Amino acid sequence: MAGDAREVVQVDSVVKDFRPGFGLRTKRVLHGVSFSVREGEIFGFVGPNGAGKTTTLKVLMGLIKATSGRATILGCDVAQTEFRRHIGFLPENPYFYSFLTAREILNFYAKLSGVPSAGRRDRVDTLLNWVGLEHAADARLRTYSKGMLQRVGVAQALVHNPRVIFLDEPMSGLDPLGRKEIRDVVLRLKREGKTVFMNTHILSDVEMICDRVAIIVDGVIRYQGRIEDFLIEDELWSDVVLSGLSVEATTHIEEAFDARFHGVGERIEIRIRDKDVSAVLQIALAAGAEVISLSQHRVSLETIFIDAVERSEGGGGES
Amino acid sequence: MKTSVTRIWIIAVNTVREAIRNKLLYTLLFFSVAIIGTAVLIASLSYVEGERIIQDIGLAAIRLFSVGIAIFVGIGLIHGEVDRRTIYTILSKPVSRAEFLLGKFLGLLLTVWLQVILMTVAFVIVTSATGSRIDSGHAAALFLTAMELMVIVALATLFSAFTTPLLAALFTLGVYTLGHLSRDMLALARQAEVEGVKVAATWLYRLLPDLESFNLTIQAVHGLTISPAEIWLPMLYAVGYAIALLFVASFIFQRRDLK
Repeated sequence: MAGDAREVVQVDSVVKDFRPGFGLRTKRVLHGVSFSVREGEIFGFVGPNGAGKTTTLKVLMGLIKATSGRATILGCDVAQTEFRRHIGFLPENPYFYSFLTAREILNFYAKLSGVPSAGRRDRVDTLLNWVGLEHAADARLRTYSKGMLQRVGVAQALVHNPRVIFLDEPMSGLDPLGRKEIRDVVLRLKREGKTVFMNTHILSDVEMICDRVAIIVDGVIRYQGRIEDFLIEDELWSDVVLSGLSVEATTHIEEAFDARFHGVGERIEIRIRDKDVSAVLQIALAAGAEVISLSQHRVSLETIFIDAVERSEGGGGES
Repeated sequence: MKTSVTRIWIIAVNTVREAIRNKLLYTLLFFSVAIIGTAVLIASLSYVEGERIIQDIGLAAIRLFSVGIAIFVGIGLIHGEVDRRTIYTILSKPVSRAEFLLGKFLGLLLTVWLQVILMTVAFVIVTSATGSRIDSGHAAALFLTAMELMVIVALATLFSAFTTPLLAALFTLGVYTLGHLSRDMLALARQAEVEGVKVAATWLYRLLPDLESFNLTIQAVHGLTISPAEIWLPMLYAVGYAIALLFVASFIFQRRDLK
C-alpha cells in the first residue's frame, strides 16, 4: 500500500456539490475539506447538524463521489473496494435486513468480508457477547429496539477485525449506560491498536475518549488538533470578579493586558491570562477595588465548538 | 474472480432468503396455484377441448404470475436497499456496486424460477389428474418462460437502479407490453408510408426485447413439433439481452450518489 503508514485516513481538499433537483442550482456542501487521521488514534469529527459530517463520511465510504479533491484510506483511493476488508463502518441509525436474526446478519457480513469459515462462528459469538446481544442472537431484527440495532451495527463493523473503524453518531439513541458501553468498546479498540474515526455531536464523549478532533461547520474545517492542545490553551485564562474598580484603573488594565471585560456598574468580571493575574490584582487593589472572586477559567470543547459555529455565522474564516 | 463470484452468490442467497420469508409471495403463489386448479372447473364447462383449456389456463397463469412477482419484487430491488439504507453497510465491505447489483439480480431470478418450479408442480398434478397429455413441448414452453423471466428481472433491476418503484413498475410493464408487440412494430415499419414512422418503428423493434420469441404455449398445447432452434436461439437471446441490460444498470448504478 502506498502513502504514509502513520496517516491511515487522508482527506485532501474535498469538495462536494449536490444538485437539489433537476434544473436547480448546485449547492456546495463541502468546501475543500482537509484532515488526516493517524494510526492508532481515536479521531473525533465534530460539527452541528448539517455541517457536512455525514457527507464527508459517505465520501470516505465511497457512497458518494467527491466533486473534487482526494480521499484515501490506508493509502488506497476510496473508490476502490478490496481495501475495505480492513475497514469497518457503523452508519447513523443503522438499518438491517429485519427478516434476519443478529447471528444470521453477522454471518452474512462476515462472509462478505471474507472471514474464513473456520473461525467465523467463534468470531460471531465473541462479538455478540461483546455487544451484549448473546441472549437475543436468534431473534429476528424486526423485534429489536433502537439501542439493540445500534449494538448490531457496532458488531457488524467489527466482525472482520478491521484496522480502521468509522462510526457515525455511535451514541445516537442510546441511554447513558449504552453510551458508556460504546465508549468502552471504542477504548478497547484503541488498546488493540485500531484506529477509530468517530462522527458525533456529543462533545462530552469526544472530550472523554478522543485523541484528536476536527470541528466542521458549514462544510469548512474550523479547528483541527489534539484535545489537550485546546484545553491547555484554555487553562491559561482566569476570571477575576472585582467591585469598585475605577475608570482609570479599568483603562489601564485594558491597555496593558490582553483582557476581556464583562459586566457593568459596580461589579466587573475580567478574563485575563494566568500570567497576568498578579499584576492585574496589584493595579486593582492599589486603585481601591475589592476582589470578589478569582477562578481559573477552563473552556470546554463545547465552548470552542460554539465559538466556531458563531464565527461561521458571523462569516469568520478558517482557523 | 473467485471471491467476486462468491460475494455475488452470498448476496443472491440472502435475496432468496428474504423472499422465502416474505409472506406476500406465498399469497401470490397460493393464488397462482388456485387458478391452475380452477382451470379444471372452467374446462368442465366446455364440451370440447377441455384438455387444451386446462393447459392454456395453466401455462398462462404460470407466465402471468411469475412476471407479476418478478416486476413486483424487482422494482424495489435496488431502490429499497438505498431507501432503507441497508446498502450502506454492505458497500462498506469489500463489495463493488456491480457485484451487489448482480447478486440482487441473481437472487430475484432464482426466487422467480423457484416459484415457476412450484407452479409447474401444481400444473403437472392438475394436468395429470385430468388425464391430459404432458410432453417435452410443455417442458420447452416452461423453459422459455424461465428465459423470458430472466429478461424481465434484468429490466426491473435496471429501472430499480436509478428510479423510484412506481416509475420502475411503469417502465417495466411498458417494456413488457411493447416487448410482446415488437413483431407488430416490424410489420408496421414494413407497411408504413411515412419515413419517420418507418424509422421509429424499426428502432423500437431493434431496441425492445422480442418477448413473443419466448412464447411456445400454442405449440405445447396443440402438440406441434418444436425445433431445437426454437429453444436455443431464444435462450441465447435472453442471456445476451439480460447481460446488456445488467451492463447498463451497473454503469448507471456505479455513478449514482447514494444519499
